This record gives sequence, structure tokens and C-alpha cells, in this order.
Amino acid sequence: MSEMGTIKDMPANDMFVSGHGACPGCGMAVAVKNIMRILGADTTVYVPASCLVVISAMYPTSSFRTPFLFTAFENTGAVTTGIRAAQRRRGLRSTVVGLAGDGGTFDIGLQALSGAAERNEDILYVCLDNEGFMNTGIQRSGATPFGAWTTTTPVGKKVEGKREFKKDIMAIVAAHDPPYAASLSIAHYNDFIKKVEKAKSKQGFRFLHVLTPCVPGWRSDSSMTVEIARLAVETGMWTLYEVEDGNARTTYKPKAMLPVTDYLKLQGRFRHMEDADIAQLQEWLCAKWYLHYGDEIEQPVCAMLEKGKRMRYPHEEQLHFV
Amino acid sequence: MGIALYEVRFHGRGGQGAVMAAQTLAEAAVIEGMHAQAFPYFGAERRGAPVTAFARIDERKISIKSQVYEPDLLVVLDETLLDVEPVARGLKADGRAVINTRRLPTEIDLGVEVECATVPATTIAMEHLKAPIVNTAILGAVVRMCALVSMESMREAIESRFGEKFGEAAARTNVAAAAMAYQQAAVGRCKGERPLSSREEWLPTWQEVPIGVALGEGVKGGVTVGPGGARRNLTGSWRVQTPRYDKGKCVRCLRCWFSCPEGCIKREEDDYVRWDLNYCKGCGICAQVCPAKAIAIIKGGQG
Repeated sequence: MSEMGTIKDMPANDMFVSGHGACPGCGMAVAVKNIMRILGADTTVYVPASCLVVISAMYPTSSFRTPFLFTAFENTGAVTTGIRAAQRRRGLRSTVVGLAGDGGTFDIGLQALSGAAERNEDILYVCLDNEGFMNTGIQRSGATPFGAWTTTTPVGKKVEGKREFKKDIMAIVAAHDPPYAASLSIAHYNDFIKKVEKAKSKQGFRFLHVLTPCVPGWRSDSSMTVEIARLAVETGMWTLYEVEDGNARTTYKPKAMLPVTDYLKLQGRFRHMEDADIAQLQEWLCAKWYLHYGDEIEQPVCAMLEKGKRMRYPHEEQLHFV
Repeated sequence: MGIALYEVRFHGRGGQGAVMAAQTLAEAAVIEGMHAQAFPYFGAERRGAPVTAFARIDERKISIKSQVYEPDLLVVLDETLLDVEPVARGLKADGRAVINTRRLPTEIDLGVEVECATVPATTIAMEHLKAPIVNTAILGAVVRMCALVSMESMREAIESRFGEKFGEAAARTNVAAAAMAYQQAAVGRCKGERPLSSREEWLPTWQEVPIGVALGEGVKGGVTVGPGGARRNLTGSWRVQTPRYDKGKCVRCLRCWFSCPEGCIKREEDDYVRWDLNYCKGCGICAQVCPAKAIAIIKGGQG
């Protein structure tokens, strides 16, 4: 197959069709639609409990034009393993893809994910990360960022929003040494296409982590979904890189770090955040930025960090790929 | 006041506040010393999709728990729903209706000829709340239409329900919206010409689908089923704003084609694009990502 690099090279044939029930402006629908265009017809889809199964499997119809399976919440890694095993037994081969949410990956599906990654099963695991359990009404997950409002991290008099930082699932997956793992953004088109294409062409366990802004859960405007995904990268809230056979590589580096408030102000879930909390988040982001992009160039927005007192990234020494 | 069991059905779209409206009406009835219940029903669809909510009010204890199939009062939060589903199905002949529209009751064809109040609730909500959340405005018109609860109890219910959830300022603006709707509601009789039959759906039970065999792509009982069958859901009816494309300005970057969550932007051979408005939900992403400003978003669900 010829190498795809830009939007123009993408197949125009939709495998995830119109008529699904996603909210207007759904970032997850953008990601799934384009992933399915690139993976093509020769694909078997598994979806655990998530928004995606609800919007795309309204009995007796399906939004996928490919075989499409659903069982339970916690077993994306296990079920995709089983589908692939059945194919081997019957002498078949198609791209087996598990499309799970962040709840089904970071929290509930973690052990099945770890098992499949450790056994290096020949599957593609996609985590569609909308930073919360949005399907059940916006509860916190391990992916919810610091400070964000959810129904289980409410804004009260003493505690305002989530107090923990986002779990680094890419580091967890990378620790299993898979053939391929990459983080994607729906606003960085060519980078997105290249990574999905690369994941499709490889064998063994492949992991894609996509940030998918959620209009009702993030309390944002439906037209700003792609812009929010872009700002996530420009502010360092999201980093674009890939880990290929143990080698980590940054695939897109923003020119200069934008203040995190540019990202926060478009989303109602951060509206309550006070200066102290924003400073704490910015400090965490600066540490993450220097870790990913190097600290040769001092970022003006990180000037408040004292030199030499720079916060270490959690478990920095354990991240063997950095 | 003494009333027998009074059943209310709300039809709205996800995000308009139909559920809160049902709860607030029930709370107002409780304030007046009656028994009440309120609960929603929604399918798999999301924000913008049709939602139903129910309320029951009685001076005695209510033991029935089912959905409301034969309402005494029908509340329609979005006029466009009348064309999408048989909203007035089961409405009693001596029932009443409240509809969010700029038109007069006599201009509305509900499907059942009943006493009807119309109110421009969207305009009122935009004025007071700066958002098209019409639930409190419509409640003002509900009080006007039927003397089920007093405006005083309704004010108290709105203050309690919205004040608790969104703060005192929100409670005040919502009360003001309800009061304005109470004033502006037009009361009359609507028309009953529209047929209310709904499509017969082929919905197999699990016993009808053979074990180990997926439902194939095809047509059953006149409806598309199986892989890709979701195309029969014309989600374009959710739309409240519509993209307008200026082909002359288009630079053929295809960013809109990539970014459309619905896949309703179709790519032509020459990389220009066209919209299949049957599915466009009007999110506005295409206009936002367009580098050449070739796409504008205009108000209203029609192209």
C-alpha cells in the first residue's frame, strides 16, 4: 500500500456512516470516522461499554459497515485477543481494532489492556480519551485532568474539582515495550493520518491514544472541538509522540508554549479554577513540557518556576523510553 | 383545589431542559400540597436528539409508575419535533397543549384539536438566560394554560430547583423568563389535521436472530438494518443552525471533510465538497476549521 501522508491521500470511503447518535460537535466521532476510513473495509471492530457503542449500535442498526462486536466494559484487550485467535484458527486475517474510551482503558479496562500488551497480541487498541466517564453522565476517570469539574469531583467550598493529575497511560503502555504506541490529535491532520497508517501496517500490539474533546462533558461550544484539541497541544496539555520498538520520538513540537489559560477558558469545566490552582497546573505542565521537548529553550510561561527547583515528572526515572 | 390524576408529557431535545421542566412542575405541585412524580425517557441519542419527560400530579398518592401514554397536557419545547415524530399521540380529546413557537395556536397543526397555548419561549430564553434553554419559559405558559398550580408556587419551585443547582442569580433570571412567558402566551385552539401514525419498525427479538450469526446488511419490514443501517437515522432534524458553503472561496484543503463528526460533508472528485444536510447536526466545526472562510453558519435548521 502506498504511504498516506495528507488528507488528500485518505480514502474517501466511509466505514463509519452518518446517522449515528453522537452529540453535535463530538470529537470522538471525528476520530472514529477518520480511523475507520484509513483502516478500511477489512477490519473487525470491538467496542466496550462507552459512548461509542451507544451512538453507533442502535438496534437493529449499526454505524459500522464492518463486523462490529460488543460485550462488556473491562475486556477490550481480552476480546480483541479472542477475535484475533479465532481468525488465526480459521485462517483469516483482518485488522482487529478495539475502540475503547478512557474509562475502559485507564481504569476499568487496564488489566485486560496490560495482558494483551504483555502477550504482544496482534491487535490495534485505540483509546478515545474524552477525560471522563461521559456516557454515564460525566464522572471522573483516571484521565480527567487536574482542576476539572465532573459530577464526582464537584466544585464545593473546600475542594474545587479534581485534585489529582492525569494518569500517564502512554507511559504505562510503553513500559510493555509494544511494537507501536502513539498519541494523536484530531487537530493535527497529517500527523494523525501517518500514525493510524503506521499502526495499521505493523504487526503485534499497537496502541493509539487520541484526545477527543467532549462538548457536554467539557462544557464547551460545539464548533470549538477541533480548536480545543489544537490548543491542548499548543499548551502542552497533550503531547504528540510515538514509541516505535522502544524508541520514543516527538512528532510535533509547538513553536512556543502557550499559557494553559488559553486552553482552560474555552471549557466550562475549568471555569471555577482559581489562580493558585492554575499555577499548580501550569507548573505540572512545565515539568511535562521540559521532559518531552527538552529544557534547552526556556519557555516564558514557565518563568515562575525557580531554576534548579524544577519539579520532577512523576516516576521520571522509571520511564525508560525518555 | 381538587384534581384527579393529571398526566403531563414533555417533548424536547437533549439540552433544552425538558427533564428539569417536568421536575419543576412536580415540585410546584408538591408545594401546593399535592402528590407528584417526574421522570425522563431517552433513547441512545445525545444532545439535540428528541427527549421525553413525564410528570404526574394527583391529590392522592400516585401508585402508577409507567410512562405517560395518554396525557392530559402536552408540552412541546421544540416546534420542529411536530414534523419528526407523532408528538400528540394519545393526547386526550379534552386535553391541552403548550407549544414553543412564534406562531399563534390557530396556525399550529398538532394532530389533535385541543385548547392550546403558544409562546415564543426560545426568544424569551435568549433574552433572559442568553441561551436557548426554554424549560422555565415554557413553564410560565403551562401555568397560564391550565390552573394546575399557581404562578406563586411555580416561582417558588423554580427558585428552589434552579437556585440549588445553579445559584441565586440563575434562579432570578429563570423566574423572570417564566413570568414573561406567562404574559406573552397566546391561548386558542390548534388544528388536528396531521396524521399521527408512526412507522412500523422491524425489531427482532434475540430468539429471531440465529446464534453465532450477525445480522446482515439488508432491508427488513421496509427498514434498513445491520451494518451501515444507521444511515436511516436522519439526524439532520436535530439542527438549529446550518452551514452555507461558498465554493468560490474554497481552497480544497479538505479540513472540513476531515473534521465533520457526522461524515455528512462529501468529497467530490475534484476535492471540492458538498453537504448532505440529511445528517448535518449544525455543530459548526466546518466553519471554525475553514482557513479560507468559505463556510458560514446561519441561524435556522434550513439550508
